Amino acid sequence: MVSTVQNTDVKQKESDHAVVVAVASRAVFEPEAQGGDNVYAEGVAFPLLQALQKVNERLLEENSAESLLFDIVLITTDSQQQQQSSHLISSTKHYGLEVSRFCFSTEEDFIESLLQNNVQLFLSTDRNEVSQTSQKGVLSALLDEYTTSCPSEQLRVLFCRDAVIRPDTNPTPASRQAAQSFSAQLGKMRQRFGMSDSPLSIALMTSCGGRDSCGGALRTLRSLGISVDEAYCLAGSPRGPILSVLRPHFVLSDCFSGLED
Amino acid sequence: MSEMKPSDVATVEDSSQEKDWAAAKAFFDNLKSNKPIPPKPQFAVSIAVSSRTVFNMVRLEVAAPPPHPPLPTPPVNNFPLESELALMNVNSRLRELYPDSEELFDVILMTNNPAQVGVRLINSINHYDLTIERFCMTGGQSPIGYLEAYMTNLYLSKDSDKVTEAIEAGIAAATMFMPEKEMELSDTQLRVAFDGDAVLFSDESEIIVKKHGLDTFFEHEKRYENQPLAQGPLKCFLEALGKLQRKFYSKNERLNCPIRTFLVTARSAASSGARVLKTLRSWGLEIDEALFLAGAPKGPLLQKIRPHIFFDDQMFHIEGAKDLGTIAAHVPYGIGQKYHKGKLIEQPAKNE
Repeated sequence: MVSTVQNTDVKQKESDHAVVVAVASRAVFEPEAQGGDNVYAEGVAFPLLQALQKVNERLLEENSAESLLFDIVLITTDSQQQQQSSHLISSTKHYGLEVSRFCFSTEEDFIESLLQNNVQLFLSTDRNEVSQTSQKGVLSALLDEYTTSCPSEQLRVLFCRDAVIRPDTNPTPASRQAAQSFSAQLGKMRQRFGMSDSPLSIALMTSCGGRDSCGGALRTLRSLGISVDEAYCLAGSPRGPILSVLRPHFVLSDCFSGLED
Repeated sequence: MSEMKPSDVATVEDSSQEKDWAAAKAFFDNLKSNKPIPPKPQFAVSIAVSSRTVFNMVRLEVAAPPPHPPLPTPPVNNFPLESELALMNVNSRLRELYPDSEELFDVILMTNNPAQVGVRLINSINHYDLTIERFCMTGGQSPIGYLEAYMTNLYLSKDSDKVTEAIEAGIAAATMFMPEKEMELSDTQLRVAFDGDAVLFSDESEIIVKKHGLDTFFEHEKRYENQPLAQGPLKCFLEALGKLQRKFYSKNERLNCPIRTFLVTARSAASSGARVLKTLRSWGLEIDEALFLAGAPKGPLLQKIRPHIFFDDQMFHIEGAKDLGTIAAHVPYGIGQKYHKGKLIEQPAKNE
């Protein structure tokens, strides 16, 4: 059974224009560790949420009537988390997180919940959840060990082409479509800021191909309306050392069709 | 998540690295152009160059927005072309002799430019058919972390602040100065010239010259002849070149070796040269030709040697080299930075 609760502490976003991002509650709060007063400890996605909020803040500074904002939804993806609903709400309010609403669902129905809420990007630390969601056509990305050491003052998004990230699943046409439309909106948001001092930084990495692969990827992103800030062409060099300097909050790889050269 | 032992973590990382490598190899093997895959960074001698070192960037500035056609841009001087050819010749000779080895040169483009300029940079690289497959367009972020991630052996840039930062981080680096006139350079043998003190060696002896004069310097060097000098910022690069040279020597290619190194020092052979040679020997390093100038200007000698690049810590020598047609690379290290033509530069009082 799914229930959606609005966060009365936060102004709701215009649903037609906002970019809905759902983050799994397990990523936001440490379910096992509790501070005092039934408040959860910060999870790995904390810097991410702060960075999303920073982008909203700066967008509104540029234009107080801006409607292209991130609309952050906290979602539970299993019954255990679903039962901790009141703690999740009170912890969210305690930290003043800009979460518009909470979706309390279980393993069986969380994807349905994502679809109902028009979620354009789903973020989780659980590989299976990400994989299942992607199969159903919702753009999703895995939060991993890099996420926790990311900056909270700037949202860093990495588009990765041709990396062997999910070898067993190729992007479905639906998820590619979802990726492209999310990315286009991200591109529009990026245009609201200048070249330097932007709260949003978009990077591209090509892992296996040579420079022409990277050139092609840059052109693909440009056709989606995305001007990339940073680009890295690895041509086979290990990704780890580069990623630990780059520190993206999350990685998107579904924009690129496997058929491109 | 279960506890992972350090060795488990290492294996997981290694195996995903190997997967990436295998995928990259497959990609390059399938290319019609027959370009070889660049070598693995942990084995390669990696040289990172800034975009301004390679191209005249003025025409690439973000002036015309896309979808204007890309402008091919002539490289600055001849630096990339003949050096590129010489480097690639070393690589093709090494591949012939050691088909399975990853100990090769690799050139990485390291630029501050935003990636919007990226497509044009790539088109320019294609236009000149340069062998650069790896690049970092950092969009304003410091390159230092990426230089370390690529295990860079040498960083060349026109930005002296970045070069200084790199040297402070322990990476061999130098600021490029291009001559006006072009000098003919070999396209088959890579020729690299180094100054000694404060480049290959520490500046400990130079400090003595500057503070106590030449006579004290000569006495000191004689007394400590058998004590090796401490290493300088470019010692590791000489070492990397030496490693590649020895691969040719072991296959009886010493006479034909496509890498040649030179020491060009203001020291004189008689009074202070021995310590330098003994230091190199104690490090297990060879240098092909050691030229002791005893204070004579370096420019004319460099004109005869025709190196692809000459490293020195003193701007006086850099200018002298550049004025006579040698591509000079300034190493901003040591006490030489506080002096110009032997006189102490007045430093402005620092504001706290």
